[in-house]
Amino acid sequence: MAAPITLGVFADAASGITPLAEGQVLRGRFQQLRFLEGLQAPLKSAGNFTLVPGRGLIWRTETPFAVTTVMTPAGLVQELNNREIVRMPSARLPFMSKLYAMLSGALSGDWDPLESAFQITRQEEGRNWRIRLEPTRTDDPAMPIRTIIARGSRLLEELEVVKANGDHDRLVFLNQKLESTPPRAEELRLLDNAGH
Amino acid sequence: MRSLFAAAWVAVVAVAAAYLAVRVHDGLPLRTDLLALLPSEDQDAAVQRATDAVSRQLARRVVFLVGGESRVQARAAAARLAADIEATGLLVPVTRGLDADQLKRLGSLYGPYRRGLLAEADRDLLIAGRGEEVADKALAQMFGVGGIADGNLLRIDPFLLLPSFFSALPFPLSRLKLDDGMLTLDDDHKVWVAVVGLVVGEPFALDLQEKIVRAFDTSAAALQDATPGLEIKRLGAVFFAEAGSSTAIREASTLSTISMVGTIALIVGMFRRIRPLLHNLLVVGIGIVAALAGSLAWFGNLHVAALLFGTSLIGVAFDYGLYYSSTMFDPADGTPRERLRRIMPGIVLGSLTTMLGYAALALAPFPGLRQIAVFSVIGLVAAFATVVLLLPALDRKQTVAHAPLLLGAMKWAHAFWDGERWRRVRALLLITAVAITAAGFARFRADNDVRHMQSLSPALLREQEDIQRLIGTTVATQFLLVEAGDDETALRREETVVRPLLDRLETSGAISGAQTPAAFIPSAARQRDNQTLMRTALDVPFLARQRSVLGMEAVDTPTSTPDETLSLKDALASEAVPLLRELVLGPGLHVVTFQGLTDPDAVRTMFAGIAGVRFIDPTADLSALLDKYQYRAVLLTALSALLMFLGLARRYGWKGSGWVMLPPVTAICLGSAMLILIGQPFNFFHAMALVLLLSVTSDYAIFCAESPAYQRQVTLLAVSLAALTTLLSFGLLAASRVPAVFSFGSTMLVGILLAFFLAPLATRGKPSLSERSAHPTADPCNVGRLVR
Repeated sequence: MAAPITLGVFADAASGITPLAEGQVLRGRFQQLRFLEGLQAPLKSAGNFTLVPGRGLIWRTETPFAVTTVMTPAGLVQELNNREIVRMPSARLPFMSKLYAMLSGALSGDWDPLESAFQITRQEEGRNWRIRLEPTRTDDPAMPIRTIIARGSRLLEELEVVKANGDHDRLVFLNQKLESTPPRAEELRLLDNAGH
Repeated sequence: MRSLFAAAWVAVVAVAAAYLAVRVHDGLPLRTDLLALLPSEDQDAAVQRATDAVSRQLARRVVFLVGGESRVQARAAAARLAADIEATGLLVPVTRGLDADQLKRLGSLYGPYRRGLLAEADRDLLIAGRGEEVADKALAQMFGVGGIADGNLLRIDPFLLLPSFFSALPFPLSRLKLDDGMLTLDDDHKVWVAVVGLVVGEPFALDLQEKIVRAFDTSAAALQDATPGLEIKRLGAVFFAEAGSSTAIREASTLSTISMVGTIALIVGMFRRIRPLLHNLLVVGIGIVAALAGSLAWFGNLHVAALLFGTSLIGVAFDYGLYYSSTMFDPADGTPRERLRRIMPGIVLGSLTTMLGYAALALAPFPGLRQIAVFSVIGLVAAFATVVLLLPALDRKQTVAHAPLLLGAMKWAHAFWDGERWRRVRALLLITAVAITAAGFARFRADNDVRHMQSLSPALLREQEDIQRLIGTTVATQFLLVEAGDDETALRREETVVRPLLDRLETSGAISGAQTPAAFIPSAARQRDNQTLMRTALDVPFLARQRSVLGMEAVDTPTSTPDETLSLKDALASEAVPLLRELVLGPGLHVVTFQGLTDPDAVRTMFAGIAGVRFIDPTADLSALLDKYQYRAVLLTALSALLMFLGLARRYGWKGSGWVMLPPVTAICLGSAMLILIGQPFNFFHAMALVLLLSVTSDYAIFCAESPAYQRQVTLLAVSLAALTTLLSFGLLAASRVPAVFSFGSTMLVGILLAFFLAPLATRGKPSLSERSAHPTADPCNVGRLVR
């Protein structure tokens, strides 16, 4: 019989985070700094996110521009004022499925899906941990990521994604809450819409 | 006098043979293209060129899927297979995904002209005055997760219109992904790696097909030996063609061996000497030489279909020689010349009616039928002349001792049709025949679908289905042909006329996608229109806001001058756009290809009556051509029969002519009905067999009708021999597994058997002497009377 997973128990020292259990939902806020080659200042944005393990990730950018991005294994859908403006099935762009695996993996602490494509190095310092991911193959044009560095303690706190061309995103996560209540109706609608 | 004629004929044959030798030495001008078979008003060089180009493109494509337990295993095997195949020099490998290199080339081609390039969806939004949505979409990409954000691109293209244009380019979707230089796909059990190749050279060449198949088989066997569990699947027209032709060749050599050995055994066995065999070979040989020489002189070239059918039709001449040889069995002894004189009326009338029948083929406006008609009439005249002029000279007076037994059997056959004893049986047969014919005709159904006339290898079909299931939709053989005076006009038509209709077809599910040249390179007019749209609907209202949200200073001005447009010619020359070269056949001659075509009829209907745009379905077009030929051939067979009946009526009277025509007409009608009843839909090859059947079987009837009572058994014996040899040559084709050949063969088999069985009935038609003396000049048999 499997032991019940309790919140706040950090038994798995190797991964640093307790992987989310089925039925749990992770919510929080984020701040993103996007450094782009050719632009003097980074693009700053902030908003909130909801991760429903096994279903998908809802990423709501609020400033400076309100847009909702929903990522599922099937692909990516963006909505602006409840109107779909972008739909990219992962069949059309295989990187999309990796993107979802990466973000949901980083947030939930389940790195397994990334092990086929990345080499993972872990470091620990007391309750803090640091994970570095590097693609196993460097010459794959379908892999736009050079390095991923994740930092956190109980949950993921900071994520840095370096793209192949040197551009990089720095993400800071705040006010994260693990909830056992089911996702809201609006969230389910977004996930359903993006999931097929 | 007679030997003078013979010598003159030998001279004519020698001239024909010499002429033929010269032509063959220069390379026999045989045509194989279907265009040559079309009525001249239907001939269209552009359609033919497009069909050739597209079918050649499709036929050149070869796909192998290598399935392994692991990625490493599959990749290693695929690399080995690719290397083995490439080493033959017959295939070049291609990657169909867009690799980094290709993307770079696309970028540098389109980059300078980006102000004129808009994805259809963006263009629609701008036209509708919804430019803000386009701007928002770009911002959403920049601030959302994982957007394809590129700072340098953003500076010159703040609305990200070029990436949008790129992702809307209609490259055929497939489930294959580029994984480290190899097209890969995971299914539940295996990792599949695709090796895509193009055949170098003529994909329809038989020896090339054989070499490719052998190279593949060797390589695949070695790989599978080394790695148990490895699966290798293949897809490509060359494999089907090779399998088809190797089956056909194997089958043809078996059938022709049986036919040849059987015929020789039959003739030598019957006559117990070799001379009749040689005589008959000479008759047919001279017929074919003369027909070839005459047709080449007449037409300048010859279609291979005419050669094949014509040669079959000349085969009838074999019967005249046989008839002559059979006079050996005649108890009434005579010199070769006397024996010829006895059968002369029969073969004169027989060959005249046959020629009449063949000549009727020339009445149709179909070049193919016309060539067959000329070819076979010349061949028949030559064969006839050889029988009449040469055979008696080559023959010696001889009789055959074993005749009585055979002749006795023939006597019984006549008794069946004439004797009072069999009256009831005959009546029963008549009722049955009428019933079967009526039932068969009621169920008449024509099917000239070419796909039903080929026998495709079931194993290859299974592999094809597997591959299509694994990699997704494939390019259809059907396409649209856009014809215009120049490229610009063609591109505009694709944008304004074709695209909206394609959208409707995609919505209805008739197609899943399509590639128009204009989707890759918009017309100059459209590019200028896009430039204006971008300025008025996007730059003026939203550029300042866009830059401020993105935190960019207003700096860069567009690098290309607004009037510059990308031309199709330059795009083709750059070789940067995959597929484009396959879509543009020439200036103003464009092809639109389809993916996932499920409803060809819907596409045909949608584009019917659209000027300058045609839906081309090569398979359906060929089927339609065969349909037309079949219809004509049936009509002409009926017309021939009518002409024969009228001609014969002059000699036999109406009633007599009816009796003579009864066996051939019954063979045709009843035979066809029987085949329909056993489930064979009627097709072109049945119809062509009917043409041959009518002439062959009318000869049997005429031989019987013309023979005086005392000679009937000898005549029927000759007819039996003729029927047996025809069964051995054409009837045997009913054993073929190639549906087209089977159709021809089964018609001959059933028809010949029926006509042979019914032939004695024709003796009821007797030459009416009063008719002959009343109109000596109009007598179709005056040649016969000369020698009588």
